[in-house]
Amino acid sequence: MIAVADDLFTVDETGTALLGARCTGCGTHYFPEPVSCRNPECDRKDLEIVTLGRTGVLFSWTVQHYQPPALFRVDDWQPYAIGLVELPEGLRVLAMLTGAPPGEVAIGSPLTLTTVALYRDDEGRDVSTYAYAPSGGAL
Amino acid sequence: MRKVYVLGVAAHPWGKWAEKSQLQLAVETLSAALADAGVAWRDLQGLVAASSRFEGGMGWGLHANEVLQAVAENGAAAVNVGGGCAAGGIAVHTAASMIAAGESEIVAALGAEKMPKGFIPRPPGSPDDIRDSDYLRWVAMGATNPAYWAMEARRRIHEHGTTAETFAAAATLMRRHAEGNPRARYRKPSSVADVLASPMVADPLHLLEICAVSDGAAAVVLGSEDAARRLGVPLVEVAGSAIATGRFGDPAVRVPTVSQNASSGGPTVQHTSEVGGAVARALEAAGVGTADVDVLELADNTAWHVLAWPENFGFLEPGQADWMLERGELGIEGKLPINPSGGFLSFGEATTAQGVLQVCELVWQLRGQADGRQVPHARIGQTAVLGLGANGASIVLKA
Repeated sequence: MIAVADDLFTVDETGTALLGARCTGCGTHYFPEPVSCRNPECDRKDLEIVTLGRTGVLFSWTVQHYQPPALFRVDDWQPYAIGLVELPEGLRVLAMLTGAPPGEVAIGSPLTLTTVALYRDDEGRDVSTYAYAPSGGAL
Repeated sequence: MRKVYVLGVAAHPWGKWAEKSQLQLAVETLSAALADAGVAWRDLQGLVAASSRFEGGMGWGLHANEVLQAVAENGAAAVNVGGGCAAGGIAVHTAASMIAAGESEIVAALGAEKMPKGFIPRPPGSPDDIRDSDYLRWVAMGATNPAYWAMEARRRIHEHGTTAETFAAAATLMRRHAEGNPRARYRKPSSVADVLASPMVADPLHLLEICAVSDGAAAVVLGSEDAARRLGVPLVEVAGSAIATGRFGDPAVRVPTVSQNASSGGPTVQHTSEVGGAVARALEAAGVGTADVDVLELADNTAWHVLAWPENFGFLEPGQADWMLERGELGIEGKLPINPSGGFLSFGEATTAQGVLQVCELVWQLRGQADGRQVPHARIGQTAVLGLGANGASIVLKA
């Protein structure tokens, strides 16, 4: 399995985590790593790379019924859900939802980060992106 | 600061105009606005253009220069402003500031756009880098613009119990207003059943609840009080205008970002603060409050915007828009008429022209010239528009 882009997420024996940053000045977490801390009250703006978002809670969601433009590559296209997920680190991230039929995860549900395969590249490798699934297995 | 008045306005009908170039749309529309003001091209002292990335502008966004070089090489000041879909509002604000500062007597603002078909593509030559969120959102999850708006709409259902029928009714209200507007592209009335029967694009938003893209152009000629009185035009004052950017912690699901520094336990920051900030500053500059506004033209990219924006910016309480809509209070005869023009849902978005069109519509409303869609006794009108990069603009007009 390879990632859809570098420096986006990490997978090891403990699970999947997003690669982001934390400002050591004000404690704000970011995903992905930004150019700088964006908090106008923070003058230190010193970032360290951290992992985050191993778990979250569903804040909102949609199901896309039209295939996105070509930059989004997927082998077996069908309508799928995208969620807005609230993380314990104090931010919300957009991510694909998996592990349940589209539209079947309720707002407020606990989620765990995982990966989903999008397509097989020209060298026969499975290319994956990060996605959230209902915690405790499929519904 | 000097007072600023609207001397003339014009808008080209919205649609798909394959036979006209962006420059032709711009020249035709600005000519009509100058004629409305009774101003000759040679007397124009400045032109502020909302810069498009789609066509024209000599490849550098020099749309004002291109128009002046095409029609009247009179030495006028050319200003080209960016701001994504808010650029039209920023152009009007900039033109008003040039007159208020005493720098010029007569300055025009212009937005003219020819849009590509379908989902708006990335600019050519953009780097494949995850720090460019307009790259990341596509490769990582394929999030289209309607998906962002749909997540706002879904959250509204969760928080306020808004029904599918209410979102559909907001869309039909915009169509009903457009029936009376010859410049709107979609003027055929639609029923709630029609909207709900249209294809689901991004749940819960249907095709007829999302704005299309169109070609269009709008122009506004502004001037000093002396110029307005000399020309004998109906007196409509730019009582306040403002631009703003977003605030840290804003909970809006902002196209094309993939994260937001907001959480349920965090500090409360105004939703869509770039527009909220501009709306508040424009009201303050005009010395009026939200209760004084007789008519509102806002950027209704979707039916959700029609309901949520008046609440986010203090015109209504959170959740109040649903029953205001049901009671007809958001219509032309209601307490808070929204988009008598028909809005983006009836025009389709001609991105940079949209913020200028909003000002044209309010001028027609305040002059009593909005035949077929006139808000009774309209005396104060306000615009609100949002652009890429957390840009907001708002103009308050007074008759």
